[in-house]
Amino acid sequence: MRRRKDETLMAVSQLARTDLEALLRKRQLDGALTSAHPLPDKTAMAPTGLAALDARLGGGWPRGQVSEIVGPACWGRWRVALSSLTAATRRGELVALVDTLDVFDPGPAAALGPHWPYWLWVRGSALGARGGGRLGGRAQHTVLAEALDRAVKATALVLSAGGFGLVVLDLAELPRAVVRGVPFTTWLRLQRMVAGQEAACVIVGADPLARGPRGLTVSLSAAPQGRWRGQGPRARLLCGLGTRACVVRAQRGPEGERDVLIDVPVAEAG
Amino acid sequence: MNTTLPAPWFACLFLREVPAPVSAPGAVAQPGGPEAVAQPFRGGRQELSPGLFDAPGCGTPLDRVLAIARDCSPRVEVAGSRAVLADAAGLTRLFGGPPALGQHLAEVAAARGTPVRVALAATRTTALLSAAARPGVTVVPRGQEAAALAPLPITTLLALEEPVSQPASGSRPRRAQGGGRHYRMAPGPALAGSGAGQALDPVLDTLARWGVHTLGDLAVLPPADLFERLGQTGLRWRQRARGEDDRPLVRHEDEEIFEQHFDLDWPVEGLEPLSFVLARLLDPLCAQLARRDRGAVVLHVWLALVNKTVHHRRLELPVPMRDPKVLRTLVLLDLESHPPAAGIDRVQLVAAPAPGRIVQHSLLRRPLPAPDRVSTLVARLGALLGAGRCGAPRLVDSHRPGIFDMAPFAPEASDPPPPESHGPDEVAHEGARMPAEPAALLRRRRFPVPIQVTVQDGRPVRVAGRQAGVDGTAVLEASGPWRTSGEWWRTANPDPARPRRTSRPWDRDEWDVAVAGGVYRVFRDRITNGWFLAGTWD
Repeated sequence: MRRRKDETLMAVSQLARTDLEALLRKRQLDGALTSAHPLPDKTAMAPTGLAALDARLGGGWPRGQVSEIVGPACWGRWRVALSSLTAATRRGELVALVDTLDVFDPGPAAALGPHWPYWLWVRGSALGARGGGRLGGRAQHTVLAEALDRAVKATALVLSAGGFGLVVLDLAELPRAVVRGVPFTTWLRLQRMVAGQEAACVIVGADPLARGPRGLTVSLSAAPQGRWRGQGPRARLLCGLGTRACVVRAQRGPEGERDVLIDVPVAEAG
Repeated sequence: MNTTLPAPWFACLFLREVPAPVSAPGAVAQPGGPEAVAQPFRGGRQELSPGLFDAPGCGTPLDRVLAIARDCSPRVEVAGSRAVLADAAGLTRLFGGPPALGQHLAEVAAARGTPVRVALAATRTTALLSAAARPGVTVVPRGQEAAALAPLPITTLLALEEPVSQPASGSRPRRAQGGGRHYRMAPGPALAGSGAGQALDPVLDTLARWGVHTLGDLAVLPPADLFERLGQTGLRWRQRARGEDDRPLVRHEDEEIFEQHFDLDWPVEGLEPLSFVLARLLDPLCAQLARRDRGAVVLHVWLALVNKTVHHRRLELPVPMRDPKVLRTLVLLDLESHPPAAGIDRVQLVAAPAPGRIVQHSLLRRPLPAPDRVSTLVARLGALLGAGRCGAPRLVDSHRPGIFDMAPFAPEASDPPPPESHGPDEVAHEGARMPAEPAALLRRRRFPVPIQVTVQDGRPVRVAGRQAGVDGTAVLEASGPWRTSGEWWRTANPDPARPRRTSRPWDRDEWDVAVAGGVYRVFRDRITNGWFLAGTWD
C-alpha cells in the first residue's frame, strides 16, 4: 500500500515537473533547465578565430546566448573580441561592435583582415569628449552612466534588428561602479532578445556580469607587465601580453571539464 | 451600327534651333541617384506644382513645344530632341482643317517664344520629315506623301534616328524606335548642301556612292535589290523615304509626381501626433508608388512651421522602398535627430521614384538582412547616438595615429568577402589562416590624456596622471621612442574641409611602457613638449 502511494507521488511530481518545464519552454525560459542541454553543435558556434581558444570553447561562442570576456585591463580582452569579430566577417556574417567609449582603432585592427563592409561600428561618446576629460566625481559618473545606457540600448536595437552573426558590447573601460548600477534585469532582457537568434552576443568587461544560461565566460589573465624581448634598456620590444584564458560554463563541457586553463596567443610579435 | 474613325492626321512641331540643355528654374538639383523635381514651399502655403513646365518661359524648349501640342491633342509623342508629334485626327471641328491647325500651332509657338516648323500629313513619318526639312507650315495632302518627300535630301532621314531626349518634366527616357543605333544630332535641313551630314552613317555613305542623294532616289530603288545589299535596314529606310509609317504613334506619358501634403487645422508640436499625419500621407504615397512599380529612393519632407519658416529634411534611402511603416519610422527618427524649430502647420512629402527592386538571392551566399531593415537600424542608432556615430570603418591613407573614417553601413551594396570554407573540421584551423597579426591591439583614447612623465637618460622612468588612472607608477619596461610626424605642410594652409583635429600637423615620440597596472602607449608631443596617454594595450 505504501509502495503504491510512493509511486503515485513520484508520478505526480514527474508530471508537475514536466508541466513546469513546458511552461518554461513556452516562455523561452528553458535555458535554466540543465536537463535540456544538448551537446554543443559546432555549426551553432561562432568561432573566435583563435584556434586554441576555439578548441576549448567547443567551436566558438554559442549562438543565441550572451557570453562574456572578462578580466582586468591589458589582459587581452580586446584582442579576443576583435579576433572574433574579424573571423565572423570573414565567414560572411554581419557583426556589430558597440564601442561604448569610442576606443576602437580600425588601423591596427585591419591587420587581422576583417571585411569592413560587414562590420557595424557603433561609437559611443569618447572619454574626454565632454569637459575635456576634466570631469570628476559625480559628473563623470553621470556621463559614463549615460554612455553605458546608450550602449545597452544600441545593443538591444542591433539584436532586435536581427541578421547579425556576432554582436560585441564593450564595457571594459567603464568603472565597476557604473556597470553595477545597471539593473540585472537589463542583462536578462538582452538574453531574451538574443535567444533563438543566430547571433552570439559577447560582452567585454572587467567582471562576470550577464552570461546566459548556455553562454560562456572567458576569464583572461596575463603577465602583469606583458612579454618583452631584447637585451639592454634601449633594445627592449613589447612582443605580447602573455594572456591565459579560463573558460567558465554553466554545465560540463564536451570534454567533461568544468574549468579549463589554456594559453591563448593574444599578442604575438609581428 | 457602323462607326467611322476619323482619317489619320499627324502634326509635327519641329524646333528651329537646337535646344541647349537648360535646367528648369527652381529645380532642386541633388547629387546622387534619380531625383524628383521638388519645390519647397513658397510663402509657406504654395505646393509643389505638377504643371510647372506648362507655363510659358519655363522648362526647356522641348517642354514648351510638348505643352503646345498637348493643348491641341491628348495624344502626343516626343520624337527626338527637337520634334513633337501630335495626333491631329478629328480636330477639324475645332481648328477648321489641317492648314488652319498648322497655322494655329505656329502662332501659338511663336507667341510663347518657341519658333517651330509645323508640318501636317497623313503619316507621322511624312509629318516629321517635312517639318524637319521645310520652314513654316507645311501641309502634305493625303496620298501625296512620297511625292512631297521626294525632293528632300537623304540626310533628312537622320531626323528619325535622333535619340529621344527626356523632357525636364520627368518623363522616362524612351529608346528611339526603328534601328538600334543612336546618332549624334544631325544638322538641320537648312544646312543641307553645306557639306554637313556627310560620313555620318555608313549607310548614307553607301547611298551617296550609289548616287542616291534624295529621298525620291531612295524610294524608287527596287526593294529586292536593296534588301540584298543593305538588308532590313535598307528596306526600312526606303519605307520611310516613301513616307510610310513603320509603327504607330506612341503616346508620351509623363512620370508621375509622387507627392502628398496635408494642411493642419492646428499646429502639431510633437513627433507623436506627427506620426499619425505621416501615416495618413505615406499610405497613399506608397500605394501610388506600388501602382507604378516604383520605390522611393529619396524622400523629401517639407514642414511649414508656424514661424513662417520651412523645415526641410532629405532622406536618402539605400534601396527603393515603399513600405509606409518603414518610411514613417525613418522620417520620425530623422526628425527626432533634427527636430523642427516650431510647431508644424503643413506637411508635404515628395518621393523621388526609382524602378522597383528585383533581387535574386544567392544559394551559396549567407543571406543578409533586408536593406530596409538595415537602414531602419542605422536610423535608430543615429537617433540614439547622434549623426555619424555608426557605420562601417574605413581606413584612411595616412600615418596619423588613430585616424579613421566611417562609411555608410550598407552590406548589401558591397562585395561579399572571399569565399572561405568553414566546415566543422576547419574551425580549429581558422586562426591559422589569419594573416599576419599585430603585436597587440590598442584601445585608443580618442582624446589623448595629459600625463606627467619623469625622464631619465632620455627614457621614461615614472608615469603619473590621475585622469589616466596611473599615479606615480614606476615604469617597469619601456620600448621606444618611435618617432612619427606628418602634415607639417598644412601649417600655413590648414584644410578647411577637415576638422581641425585631423588637419593639424603632428610630431610625436611614442613609447610603449609597462607599469604595475598594465601596458600603455604614451607619447611626447614634440610641438607642445607635453606627454600624453595614447591608449592601452589590450
